[in-house]
Amino acid sequence: MRALEVSHLSVNFGERNVLSDLSFSLAPGEIASLLGPSGCGKTTLLRAIAGLLQPSAGTIRLGTQLVGLSSVVLPAHKRQTGYVPQQGALFPHLNVARNIAFGLDKKTFSKQEISEITQEMLALIGMSGYESQMPTELSGGQQTRVALARALAVKPKMILLDEPFSALDAELRNELRTDVVALLRAQGTTAILVTHDREEALVSSDKVVLMRDGKIAQMGTPEEVYESPISPSIAVSTGDALVLDAQKFSNGSISYAISPSNAGQTPSESGFVVIRPEEISIKKAGTTGVAATLIQLDYYGHDAMLVLKIANDEKLIRARISGAIDFKVGDIVSIEHQGPVRFFAKM
Amino acid sequence: MHLQIKKQGRAGLIAIVTALVAGLAATTLTSCSSSSDQASEVTELTIYSGRSEEFIAPFFAQWEAESGIKLNIRYGDSAELAAQILEEGSNSPADLFLSQDAGSLGAVAMAELFTSLPEGVASDIPAEYIDSDRRWVGITGRARVFAYNPNSLKVLPTSITDLTQSVYKGKLGIAPTNASFQAFVTALIENKGETFAQKWLEDLKANDVKIYPKNGAIVEAIDKNEISIGLVNHYYTWEISEALGRPINAKNGFFAPGDLGNLINVSGAGVLASSKKYAASQDLINFLTSTSTQAEFVTKTHEYSLISSAAAPEDLPQLLEIGAPSIDLDVLKNIKATQDLLVKVGLL
Amino acid sequence: MPLKTADRASAAPLHIVKGRGSSLSALNAAVGVVLAITLIPFIYIAFRAFEKPLPEILDLLLRAKTLQVLATTTALLLIVVAVNIFIGTLMAAGLHFIRLPKAHLFILPTILPLAIPSYVFTYTWLALIPSLSGLFAAAFILILTTMPYMLLAILVSLRRIDSSLIEVARTLGLSRFKIFIRVILPQIRSSISAGALLSGLYVLSDFGAVSLLNVETLTVSIQNMFKASYDRSAASVISILLILASVVFIAFNERLKDSDNKENISKRLMAKNIRINNPGLKTSLLFSVALYTTLAVVLPIYVLISRFIGNPNPIDFAQLFETAVSTISVAALGAFIALLMSAPLGLLLSTRAGKYSRLAERIILVGHALPGVIIGLGLVSLGSKLGPLYQSTLLLAFAYALLFLAKAVASMTSALQLVPSTLKEVAATLGKSKSKVTTSVVFPIALPSIGLGTLLVFLTAMKELPATLMLRPTGMDTLATQIWSYASINRFNDAAPYALLLVLIAAIPTFLLSAPRNPSEKVEISQ
Repeated sequence: MRALEVSHLSVNFGERNVLSDLSFSLAPGEIASLLGPSGCGKTTLLRAIAGLLQPSAGTIRLGTQLVGLSSVVLPAHKRQTGYVPQQGALFPHLNVARNIAFGLDKKTFSKQEISEITQEMLALIGMSGYESQMPTELSGGQQTRVALARALAVKPKMILLDEPFSALDAELRNELRTDVVALLRAQGTTAILVTHDREEALVSSDKVVLMRDGKIAQMGTPEEVYESPISPSIAVSTGDALVLDAQKFSNGSISYAISPSNAGQTPSESGFVVIRPEEISIKKAGTTGVAATLIQLDYYGHDAMLVLKIANDEKLIRARISGAIDFKVGDIVSIEHQGPVRFFAKM
Repeated sequence: MHLQIKKQGRAGLIAIVTALVAGLAATTLTSCSSSSDQASEVTELTIYSGRSEEFIAPFFAQWEAESGIKLNIRYGDSAELAAQILEEGSNSPADLFLSQDAGSLGAVAMAELFTSLPEGVASDIPAEYIDSDRRWVGITGRARVFAYNPNSLKVLPTSITDLTQSVYKGKLGIAPTNASFQAFVTALIENKGETFAQKWLEDLKANDVKIYPKNGAIVEAIDKNEISIGLVNHYYTWEISEALGRPINAKNGFFAPGDLGNLINVSGAGVLASSKKYAASQDLINFLTSTSTQAEFVTKTHEYSLISSAAAPEDLPQLLEIGAPSIDLDVLKNIKATQDLLVKVGLL
Repeated sequence: MPLKTADRASAAPLHIVKGRGSSLSALNAAVGVVLAITLIPFIYIAFRAFEKPLPEILDLLLRAKTLQVLATTTALLLIVVAVNIFIGTLMAAGLHFIRLPKAHLFILPTILPLAIPSYVFTYTWLALIPSLSGLFAAAFILILTTMPYMLLAILVSLRRIDSSLIEVARTLGLSRFKIFIRVILPQIRSSISAGALLSGLYVLSDFGAVSLLNVETLTVSIQNMFKASYDRSAASVISILLILASVVFIAFNERLKDSDNKENISKRLMAKNIRINNPGLKTSLLFSVALYTTLAVVLPIYVLISRFIGNPNPIDFAQLFETAVSTISVAALGAFIALLMSAPLGLLLSTRAGKYSRLAERIILVGHALPGVIIGLGLVSLGSKLGPLYQSTLLLAFAYALLFLAKAVASMTSALQLVPSTLKEVAATLGKSKSKVTTSVVFPIALPSIGLGTLLVFLTAMKELPATLMLRPTGMDTLATQIWSYASINRFNDAAPYALLLVLIAAIPTFLLSAPRNPSEKVEISQ
């Protein structure tokens, strides 16, 4: 059984086509990231799944239930999808406990049960004791946690997170993201996380959905989309990437600026290769590889980014290395590509 | 909190709907029952009173005590109450309409909303102060006078035509928006014709007449010696003196007998045709026009009693000695032409 | 943990509902009912006006006098609105941006004139300057009376301006004056237009000030028609002209209004406010606040108090108290009915404003320009057929609601617009239906602002005179009718305690109106 199945979904805002013919599905417990630049339609997709807007064509199923269709739509309040918008959007007139209990119907749950669930959720987000605080008294991270607890409290069929961490500073953001993902996994909750942060998408999810102009450009596990991008531009969107001119030869070998071999055969096809900076190794000058001059060195602590210039080539090469650095700017070094050669023919 | 709102909202809605339904139901009920109510004992009367509460309430209280009938009194401006009665038509809750001036009574009478009063009602009031079809009767007399400051005004006018002379240049005050001033101009037009009236008003304007919003303001201005003479109703000198709580520097004066400046207007009352309480209403009118009540009007509100034999207000000549011009009070409701004229000469 | 939610869902049939259908049509129907009620005075006017034959109507409309009155009305309207916009904007900006200790205590006296009816204003000013008369005198009094509407509207929107925009503009090298013109003014345009609308419609419908100062506006003409000739048809014809004048004014005013995205403004953070600490500006602000307060509050109250002290007659405190209680209760009931009546249209306008809802809003605004006498007579005409309901407290309260519905709708709409749409969406995903979202999220959050709007209606209803005289239960007095009753026989001393009490009672809601609004700020921070 699928937890979510979106097929041939299109959304138009007036004349403008925001999502077109979009299909994907999620297994129960799966966490997916929607990754793409702003304006690509990822928030629209999320809102369509939540029932906050009406699609123009296609279907959305939650489990076995058909919830979204072009002509009829199950309204948001009957879909049981938990929604965590940017910065939480807590109800300012309710305290933490009443925010969390907001979705618990008094006809279904007794007072006792509501209180139990609220306590359980507070414990889950590590905020026991904050019951009677008002949203304004909470920090940004705490607000996001409460928003998540509020969404989880109703045992939703899935959770939809719309850039929930975007307003937080880097450190808090990583910490909270780790906590949230762990929590979702522990609960076995199916979730979609909208983000424009490529690291966040890779680290948090089982499936990354890359979106471009209202369409899915590529979809797969984080490894798949990082290691095997379907185009140079997709490669760039999932991580730092070098795009170099390349020639493919009739025997299948590929030549580019720092290719291990430069077999002198007739090129059959020109195109690009995509290289991740961490796939480039640097050695002392004179060893195997291509000679290059180190022109810039940015040291980050856990690793360093090096910018290198090869003779007779205008394109600068970026390499990421970890461990001790024995070079300084101006040194001549040998560089070598030690990873998969991802060739894309010119269009 | 939100629950409360919802409850309140619902309760309010229910209240309104209930009230509407109850109101409609009651309308049908009353319209059925009221016709048979005539013979049964009257316990309440509803009065629309254009006369101020301050002046008339003690008289109403006295009648309530004597008759044992409760009065529900609605005070308002005479003209607006008349408009309201016209609007209510046969649905009017009023039994009796008491007006400050004859004009408002005339308007209601014209719409045939008054019932004719039998001959025995207000028998002491002379016919000239009763509508020709007996639809309303006068209750008190209100004389147009000139109020003046005896310290500063040495030459008293004998006719309204004197007022356009240079002696009074910049010294005379009038209140053109006031109903009783307009009634006087109406009488002037009726009596002397529009051309004469227009000429007189234009001369007045040329003589730098001072404009005031109300009669009371004219008397106050005379007291402060801002002006030395003004055209007002006679009782304002008392009213202002009582309001200020001291004697004031203003006295009433009359023009020569027969001059239009001595016009007598009346306050009066009529019984509404839609009322089913004619007897009680007529009884109240009889009370207000009785010799003893009339005498009290003279001492308490300083108005003229319309009964020929009654005493005049303190310091003033008898009603018959004023030499009031003879004007049919019914014509005083034709104020429209008057207003147009006032606009034409630029006084309105 | 119990899994009831999930159980419920699987048990539920595949229930597919239209997205917006039912709640929207219910709202539309509710607005329709309110609109039908609002149309009562219009229907009355049409009915009365067309009792006259058409040539007579045209004659009345086209005669020189009518045109002159129209010109006077227009001139008065333009002077008051223009001065209000100019001074009101400057004063509001000063009160907002210039650093003063306990700033809201300086705002209070500038809002307090709301509590003083224009006829009391005029009486007190006439007591000071008996020769006060004419167009400019009326403009002066009406500016004093209506300035608070302008100030309130602008102050509220200034509180919502993102201070970072101003900071950015400063770093881009704009002078204070240029920032005001290019950054602040565009953002408060809508509020200026709202303030101009309320003060303009006030001018159109006012009778007290203009009649006492001998200025014949359309409303005075209408009143004179009754008094002169008891001609309700002629008065109704002039009312049509008044309706047309307000339609033109409203249309003109809408051009001033920016079609801005209010949600955008409310979403912006207002972390801190920028305050100017310039001694020169501070002095001129304090001077202008002091001047305005002296003219509009201190002098009238001084006159009232001196009349009060100089009163030789004993004061009937029992009657004073009884009158105050009935005034407060009927005005409060009226404000409450206005609140109920404004809710559906407010909801419609704040969420999905369409042609229908905008038309409804405009009709209600036009109705706001009608003088109390006309609305009063309209309700007399209808109400006198309703038996016991006629001249009942309920009908009077209802008349207040009808008279001041425009104010209620305006504040209801802006209060509801402040509720961020994300909050509504979150509530929807948590299983709350549209109507449930409205009752459990939208209204509670908007409640403080709605409350303030209701206070404004309450305040205005307490001062109302012409409709009160016609529709109050026979024998009931309000503070306004008592003031009228004494003033009409020149007993200003006896009227003074009632006027003072009216100002005193009204000062309480005025204080609340001028106080800083914490609840709405909370919304913005949590965004």
